[in-house]
Formats: sequence, structure tokens, C-alpha cells
Amino acid sequence: MTDDKDVLRDVWFGRIPTCFTLYQDEITEREAEPYYLLLPRVSYLTLVTDKVKKHFEKVMRQEDISEIWFEYEGTPLKWHYPIGLLFDLLASSSALPWNITVHFKSFPEKDLLHCPSKDVIEAHFMSCVKEADALKHKSQVINEMQKKDHKQLWMGLQNDRFDQFWAINRKLMEYPAEENGFRYIPFRIYQTTTERPFIRQLFRPVATDDQLHTLGDLLKEVCPSAVAPEDGEKKNQVRIHGIEPVLETPLQWLREHLSHPDNFLHIRIIPQPAD
Amino acid sequence: MAEEPESALQLPPSIAAEGEGPTEVSPETATPEPPSSAAVSPGTEEPAGDTKKKIDILLKAVGDTPIMKTKKWAVERTRTIQGLIDFIKKFLKLVASEQLFIYVNQSFAPSPDQEVGTLYECFGSDGKLVLHYCKSQAWG
Repeated sequence: MTDDKDVLRDVWFGRIPTCFTLYQDEITEREAEPYYLLLPRVSYLTLVTDKVKKHFEKVMRQEDISEIWFEYEGTPLKWHYPIGLLFDLLASSSALPWNITVHFKSFPEKDLLHCPSKDVIEAHFMSCVKEADALKHKSQVINEMQKKDHKQLWMGLQNDRFDQFWAINRKLMEYPAEENGFRYIPFRIYQTTTERPFIRQLFRPVATDDQLHTLGDLLKEVCPSAVAPEDGEKKNQVRIHGIEPVLETPLQWLREHLSHPDNFLHIRIIPQPAD
Repeated sequence: MAEEPESALQLPPSIAAEGEGPTEVSPETATPEPPSSAAVSPGTEEPAGDTKKKIDILLKAVGDTPIMKTKKWAVERTRTIQGLIDFIKKFLKLVASEQLFIYVNQSFAPSPDQEVGTLYECFGSDGKLVLHYCKSQAWG
């Protein structure tokens, strides 16, 4: 695993140039300038947008401000999804920078979870890590860690400290020498089509046996429409972290190198854009 | 009303959000509401038949959280964790401001928008999904 460490760094330091604009119906005391920011792909919106919030709050009155939320082309952005995933699902074929609209009113209760504090993000993040470990190691590794190790994972993510994070995360990526890989691969597949609700989530373990399963195997089993080319034409695009991996890539490798900090492999499938 | 702890009672199709009902909250007398969009499955690419089935859930109380009289429930796969939380809170007559946490495997709390069906597929055993519920954060 160490020889591909560059991949881990590339994933960690991936950034998306973003332009935040205040929603036109928000009440301001003076003109609100847009705010530009490089967003880390692997983090969460509400964790990295304190400056955005402060920037717009400066031109608003206190009484007009309630919980901040973000939207792209009419779709509320779920802060509990990794930023890179949101971008790949919604905006990957648009020109950069990613244009996000900022709201302080009319929080869409049906679409978004509330995020009153950083503790909520931490709780969500740690839950994902624990859920992933339940699949990989029957929770043994995460449970054997001390509380301070859990804290270090979170602080590493929050403070953008790659080495601090991976000092602990590497333990979650290990497996006993006699096995070929993890018990199950934690993954989530996201699809967008015009007929369905915005995001559908498939979530099933795939057993790794003596044969190394590939990405193609996983998709064929779980989401056949994504790979079966009926007339030879590729119907859908499969992306992880904004890149399209070769379908023959072993799942175990993808798992170790392209997982998000929450220890999940977030795979997004969208229809092939018509050129 | 006679208690039948062994039978899996049916969760109402959706949760009515209005105020207090009869003193004895019973699923059979819950006001029927138009099914939420989550309960109606589009059924296009889903594995045939799976999304219409219900799964069995066993609810276990943690700490000093009140114990539900009926612990075993049959729930639609597309029911979200949030939907389940709302239902338990109503069943236990907790006020809306009181928090309730649900845990899988006594280790993690799934995010409220996760569907119980997908959790069952990964973490179910012996034909059911065991969920622990608690008014405070039991497992961090």
C-alpha cells in the first residue's frame, strides 16, 4: 500500500474552485460581493465555510440571519455528503468555478439535515467511519482504538492534516495477512436520472474471496445498468473523486486508495453526457 | 388491548405529525395519511419485488430510555431512520424537542436519511435488524 501513497495525497488535496453568491432575495444592508474559495473534495460544506458565512453576515442584519444552507441550480446541497461527491453528481460537466448560492432563510427541512454545530459534523463523520469498520473488520479495529485516536481522525480532517489523519486511518486500512482483503467493502453508489428522486443510494456488502473482485464485478452485481452495454455504446459514466477508473481495477485497491476519509468508497454514476 | 409481543406489528405507512392522539397509541388506529414519497417505490431499476417487502426490526432500549411495549415491527424498506425516530418518539410520547438516537450493532448511528432496508441488507441477522435506541448518545 505504501508504494501508491501518492494517490492518497492526490485524493486528500483535491480541490474545487468555488464561487459563493448570496441568494438575491436575502435582505442586505449593502451589496454582497461573491466569495471565492477552494473547497477540499474530501471534506464537508459546513466544516469549511466559516469564512463564507462571516463574509455574508457582514452585510446583513442579525435578525435576518438564521441557519446557513447552500444550493446549486435549485438543488439544496446536503452538507453530510462529501463536497467532491456533490460536485461530481451535480456540476461536473459545468464550467468552473462551481457556482453555489448561499441562503440564510427558508431552510428546506425536507431536503437537508440541520447542522447547528461542528459537533454534529464530527458525530456524522465518526458514525460513517464506524459503520465502514463494522463492514471491514466487524468493528474490531475501531473499537480497539482509544478515544484520542478517534479524535485524531476528526482533527486531521478538520485541520486538513494528511499525516495526522493517516497515522490513525492506516490501521483501518489494514487487514490480516492471511486474508486477501477486508471482509466487506464499504461503498455507496449514487445515481441521478431525470425520472427518479435526486440521489438514490445502494448499499450492499460485496464479499471478497480468493479472486480479487474488480470495480466492474461490483457494478455488474449491484447496478447492472451502469455497465451492460446493450448495443456496445456506453450509457453511463462511473466516477470516483471526479475520475473515471478502469473497470478492471481491483476493488481492494480502490478501497485502500480512493476511499474518502469517512472510509467509504463513494461511486457516482451519471448518464453519459451527450456531446 | 391484548399485548402480542411475538407478532411483528405493522408500522403505519407514514407518520402523522399532528398533536396528541388517544392515550393508548396504537398503530391500527393511527390516522392514515397519504404515503410519503419515500414509501412509494419507483420500482424501475430496483431488484424485482425487494423494495415492496418489509423488513423486521427489533427495537431495544438503552439506559433509562423508556422501553417500548412492542419491540418487533415490520417496516417498509424505504422508511428512513428519521421516520423511525419520529415514530418511536410518538409511541413513547416524547416531546419533539427531546432527542432520540438510533444505533446499529451497538456501535454507530446511521444518518437520519438512510433507509432501513439498506441497513438491514448489511447489518441484519436472523431475518431482522436489531436497533438500539437511546435518549442520549450511548456510543458516541
